[in-house]
Amino acid sequence: MTGALLADDASGHALLGAEVRSWLDAHWDPALERSAWLGLVVEARWAVPRWPAEWFGRDMSDAQARVIAAEFTRAGAYGTGQDRTNLWANTALSFGTDAFKREFVPALLRQEISMCLLYSEPGAGSDLAGIRTNAVRDGDQWVINGQKVWTSGAATADFGMLVARTDWDVPKHRGISFFFCPMKQPGVEVRPLRQITDEAHFNEVFLTNAVIPGVNLLGEENDGWRVLQTALAYERSAMGENARGPRRAASNGPVAASHEVDLIELARSAGCLDDPVIRQDIARATALRSLNALNTARAKAELAQGTSSPIMSLGKLAMSRILHEGARVQTAILGAATLLDGPDHPQADDANFLTLNAYFTSIGGGTDQIQRNIIGERVLGLAKEPEIDREIPFREVRRA
Amino acid sequence: MTALTVDESTALRASVHALLADRAGEAQVRSAMESDTGYDAALWAELARLGIVGLIIAEEHGGSGAGPVELELVMEEAGAALLCGPLLASSVIAAAILAAVDDSAAAARYLPRIADGSSIATAALTGLTGTWTPEGIAVLGAPPTEPGGQWVLNGTASFVLHAQNADLLLVAAHGPDGISLFAVDVPQTSVVITPLPTFDRTLRLAQVEFAGAAASPIGEAGAGWSAVERALDVARVALAGEQAGGAKQSLDITVDYAKVRVQFGRPIGSFQAIKHMAADLLLESESAISAARNAARALAEGAPDAGAAISLAAFACADAFTTVAATSIQMHGGIAFTWEHPAHLYLRRARADAQLLGTPAFYRERYLQQLGA
Ligand SMILES: Cc1cc2nc3c(=O)[nH]c(=O)nc-3n(C[C@H](O)[C@H](O)[C@H](O)COP(=O)(O)OP(=O)(O)OC[C@H]3O[C@@H](n4cnc5c(N)ncnc54)[C@H](O)[C@@H]3O)c2cc1C
Repeated sequence: MTGALLADDASGHALLGAEVRSWLDAHWDPALERSAWLGLVVEARWAVPRWPAEWFGRDMSDAQARVIAAEFTRAGAYGTGQDRTNLWANTALSFGTDAFKREFVPALLRQEISMCLLYSEPGAGSDLAGIRTNAVRDGDQWVINGQKVWTSGAATADFGMLVARTDWDVPKHRGISFFFCPMKQPGVEVRPLRQITDEAHFNEVFLTNAVIPGVNLLGEENDGWRVLQTALAYERSAMGENARGPRRAASNGPVAASHEVDLIELARSAGCLDDPVIRQDIARATALRSLNALNTARAKAELAQGTSSPIMSLGKLAMSRILHEGARVQTAILGAATLLDGPDHPQADDANFLTLNAYFTSIGGGTDQIQRNIIGERVLGLAKEPEIDREIPFREVRRA
Repeated sequence: MTALTVDESTALRASVHALLADRAGEAQVRSAMESDTGYDAALWAELARLGIVGLIIAEEHGGSGAGPVELELVMEEAGAALLCGPLLASSVIAAAILAAVDDSAAAARYLPRIADGSSIATAALTGLTGTWTPEGIAVLGAPPTEPGGQWVLNGTASFVLHAQNADLLLVAAHGPDGISLFAVDVPQTSVVITPLPTFDRTLRLAQVEFAGAAASPIGEAGAGWSAVERALDVARVALAGEQAGGAKQSLDITVDYAKVRVQFGRPIGSFQAIKHMAADLLLESESAISAARNAARALAEGAPDAGAAISLAAFACADAFTTVAATSIQMHGGIAFTWEHPAHLYLRRARADAQLLGTPAFYRERYLQQLGA
């Protein structure tokens, strides 16, 4: 059944909710393997309800998709709403050829393929259009040479979303192409980097005559900047809603905001919940989280009503403030205890870890400064900074 | 009143916006703030005709019967325009107190006049310290000494909104049964109302001395403060809306200026020092709008977390408005240091609003307590 068959009104929503409930009653089993469960969700077309019916979806509205999400949440199940959250699948759906989508999209929705982002390079971070990794067509495949850096999850990834230069004689934004690059091949060498958190999630990636099948080009040749904008928007909106919690709460990847540190309980256990300065701090930090959740809810409601919302682009900047401020207050609560670290001092270890890991959000995915540029220019309509390298052939752009 | 549809709330908002754009522009605000009464009586009458003065008053008493959600929307517009007048004092606080006390005779007597704008009421709840708590009350109520006699009030209330324009004071006073509420008709010789000089010139405050003032008790004796608290929740939502609307307008004015002011051959908005401030302020003002609307919704639904939602809105909106209005002056440069430029009017209003019903720090503490800490 598709969205068009159920009315998008209160009575249609009630019918839809009942349908989802009875399906979940019959199928949801927390003991199922993740990909087995996701397989059922994809097959039943609950994974991406807003997508077209021909691509695993139901052509549903935002309101209908939220009815489905509410039922999944109620049951404690997961896997719906990937039309908003699954960066990889959304990018593939928007820009892949039909052959590519048939091959990759189902596996991406079942989350069987492990992915990474091959964007940043030693010479191109904020200025992502300055990448120098080279892609050359060779028959029905592409040959890649260059270096990527800060690539989270590269060590375990099956594929990477790669931006590489395919034309050096046009201005920098116009000569980039976007690929799904197979990671498990001789031309790809991954070297882990030790992070300030003492973990090693991100890596250097050396691409030496790495090979990509032609069908893995997303969008047109030299139109990769446009593909990248879509992919970045999905990434940033996810970073605005969720962030990774304490080190031990999640070994890798983000956790829902509900896993956040409870500052009130922490202060109670540290015996300083009656300190008026700490109390003001806790109220401020807690409020930032609540305000971001309210903003996100309002943005979604406004989008559902068809009004475009400026708030959507504020989430990532808000989240970075939430994380830095939360960790600061956590540290203030614990005081000298944060001199210590490690598994025998779990509260201090959390505060120390979160203090450092907050930069994941304020640097990764575009720094806070870049986010402010984007908000200022695209949301508020302020004039752009002059860019001296914008209109000249990339070959002539100055390097460090 | 049931929740408004999207179309209805858009229409309500649009009608208030149109009226204020026409009748409460900057020049009109300036002439109102410099006048004796501090507001434009003709505009007040027009707001009454539109049902805004009686917005939250029940239809049986001649009001529009709207709830906190509509009130918040209207207050966003009022805040954006820096509307001058007794809207908060009479239409919100006094009306909400009369709705919250269980006294149908008093409601029937006073609310219709408040709704049609012919009477201006205000609440005298705070003493010289200006705290919105029972400890702040510095008026004593003495019961009649003979059968059929009058209650009399003695003491001082201060920071009373628009008392100089009011004909009805709702007074919280300590009495034999605890805190009770009284209606006091003014003028009367035993009530001296002294206007106070306000930093926010668009605001009117007065000190009120009661020296044996004749007063009629309203509601249940000793139950006054709980009625006041319920009314204050409505007022907090209204004020949060005013602050959110003021913050947004102050930012809009600033962003518009950053697009047209040129220095070093380019609009100042292209400088990151300015652009980044603007981006941060957008987060502040949008968060204020979310918080104010959420508080209104929670109060309207009687949600269990309404108290915390209201406290959150109270400090988040106060801080947002003050931050936006203060930063706006820096972003404008010298032009905003002039009396003629509206930026300081927003900062004055923001600083006043951040004290009017209690400080941000007070509400942060209250929020934490409401979260169970
Ligand atoms: C934990 C973590 C994980 C990451 N994971 C990935 C990943 O999986 N894949 C991937 O491709 N990348 C990843 N990144 C890289 C990340 O996207 C870049 O670090 C980021 O975009 C900044 O680039 P840069 O490090 O080169 O800093 P630079 O761009 O050199 O910036 C240095 C400083 O200059 C400022 N700056 C630069 N340009 C401007 C400007 N125009 N206006 C104002 N200020 C400016 C920046 O804000 C920053 O403060 C990750 C980074 C981190 C920290």
